[in-house]
Amino acid sequence: MIRVIGIGSPFGADQLGWLALEALEEAAISDLELIRLDRPGSGLLRYFEDVERVLLIDAVVADSEPGEVTLLNPADLSQSSCLTSSHGFGVAEALALAETLETLPAELWVAGIEAGSDHCSVPDLNKQQLLDLLAHLI
Amino acid sequence: MTSKREIHINVPVLTRVEGEGALELDVAQGVIQKLNLRIFEPPRLFEKFVEGYEYDQVIDMVARICGICPVAYQMSAVQAFERLFGVDPGPWVQDMRRVMYCGEWLQSHALHVHLLAAPDFFGFESAIAMAEKYPEAVRRGLRLQGLGNDLITLFGGRSVHPVAVRVGGFYKAPAEEAVADMVKQLEQALPQAEALVRWCAELDFPHDEQAFTSVALSEPGEYAIGSGRLVSGQGLDIDISHFEGHFEEFQVPHSTALHTQLEGRPYLTGPLARLNLNFRQLPKPVRGVMEDCGIHFPSHNMFHSILARAIEIHLVTYEALQLLQAYERPDVSAVQVRPRAGTAFGCTEAPRGFLWHRYDVDERGDIRRARIVPPTSQNQARIEQDLRASLETFGLDHDDDELRQRAEQVIRNYDPCISCATHFLQLKVSRR
Repeated sequence: MIRVIGIGSPFGADQLGWLALEALEEAAISDLELIRLDRPGSGLLRYFEDVERVLLIDAVVADSEPGEVTLLNPADLSQSSCLTSSHGFGVAEALALAETLETLPAELWVAGIEAGSDHCSVPDLNKQQLLDLLAHLI
Repeated sequence: MTSKREIHINVPVLTRVEGEGALELDVAQGVIQKLNLRIFEPPRLFEKFVEGYEYDQVIDMVARICGICPVAYQMSAVQAFERLFGVDPGPWVQDMRRVMYCGEWLQSHALHVHLLAAPDFFGFESAIAMAEKYPEAVRRGLRLQGLGNDLITLFGGRSVHPVAVRVGGFYKAPAEEAVADMVKQLEQALPQAEALVRWCAELDFPHDEQAFTSVALSEPGEYAIGSGRLVSGQGLDIDISHFEGHFEEFQVPHSTALHTQLEGRPYLTGPLARLNLNFRQLPKPVRGVMEDCGIHFPSHNMFHSILARAIEIHLVTYEALQLLQAYERPDVSAVQVRPRAGTAFGCTEAPRGFLWHRYDVDERGDIRRARIVPPTSQNQARIEQDLRASLETFGLDHDDDELRQRAEQVIRNYDPCISCATHFLQLKVSRR
């Protein structure tokens, strides 16, 4: 079983993590647990409990094709300079904290979906890339 | 883990940044000439948004003002409309609203104590760095924060912008099985909350006594959260409807948030102010731990704010447990409401201080005008006053980096909702 966590918010391209979950739900792939989170901050760590395999999906800005799905190395995620703020406590900070507390799941993948430069509009998610990625992980 | 190519990633920040701030400091001959806490966060205009909407819609609209303290906005609004409409929702609703509010204090305070404030006291630049040396303390903070979120979810369906509170009661009462499960979690959390107070009592607090006026809600029977009269350490004791006769909001050029003064002077609202005024109303077991640790209130050292939050965490864990142990699911979770025209006043204690609302309402229950005074804007003038005194006590001969760090710690004592901004704090020191 893989726990797939889509991270996002209702705003613009930040919805991409949620749209990815909808695509996976439609595809009805077995052995996936789909969880949708709205900017969980440090609360993300709770979702690493009692699970061996986790895939995080979030919108990213990485100068690639808008909607493109890429498997990332979590070490490449930039932590903001805002580490002591609740508002600035994002995915990278949550992963760094989980690593320090030794609570990362045994297998963790992070998939980024390119948001593009215009964060207000939502690019078309490349669903095939997402499904290929899942097939590769499973 | 695999990577197809080397890339540098920035998670989009536009939707996740709540504000920006900066501090401007002018020093001449070792004396502060100018000190401005600048807040650039654009006006949110919520008071205008709610005009024309019906009272029950407003409850969920104002919750959107804050992702950390939505319950506070809902509770101040619901209290305002119930006072105006002459609605008494009864003891079950009042008790369960207090439990839900306990959840908000718990998650907000646990986050602030462990992830925002505590690293300052140990000299770490972040909670992540602190977690290497104090992993169990950080784990405890995350557990307590999560439990607070679960308490809000129990009533509101979700922890951010919950949807349960209505004028007259709740849309739905939680199932007894869910409450029984929550009681078990609270029982496990209570020793952790007590341990947190003992841990905070051992922190190395800078000595920085200052004269300031504490203002909070207060009521005789219990530690005020969801109702009470507005009182101060200087003799103020008013019904919340008289707020505008004593408190003045005004603009300053360097902040988009209004400043507030009481009788022309800055004042403090928030956990330390509440403890200073209401510590006698704390339940006996909570006071017992304080006495055991040699903790005494009132205090005029703002660095004791972290201790005040820890004590309030103990309080709300204890109270939520007490109230839920006696839980019985009612047949109906809300009473009938008939709107009437008039001016509605509501005021409750948000995690960061008291949150005052006023609504002019027509005969259909639609909002004609609204005014909302949140805690962070109230504390701005006090923060500037504190920074001036604290930095002079600390010593202005420290280098810019040391001054910036101390200024940030002082600001974090208030847990302002612009805490993101205050960590970005760009300190511009002009020395002459």
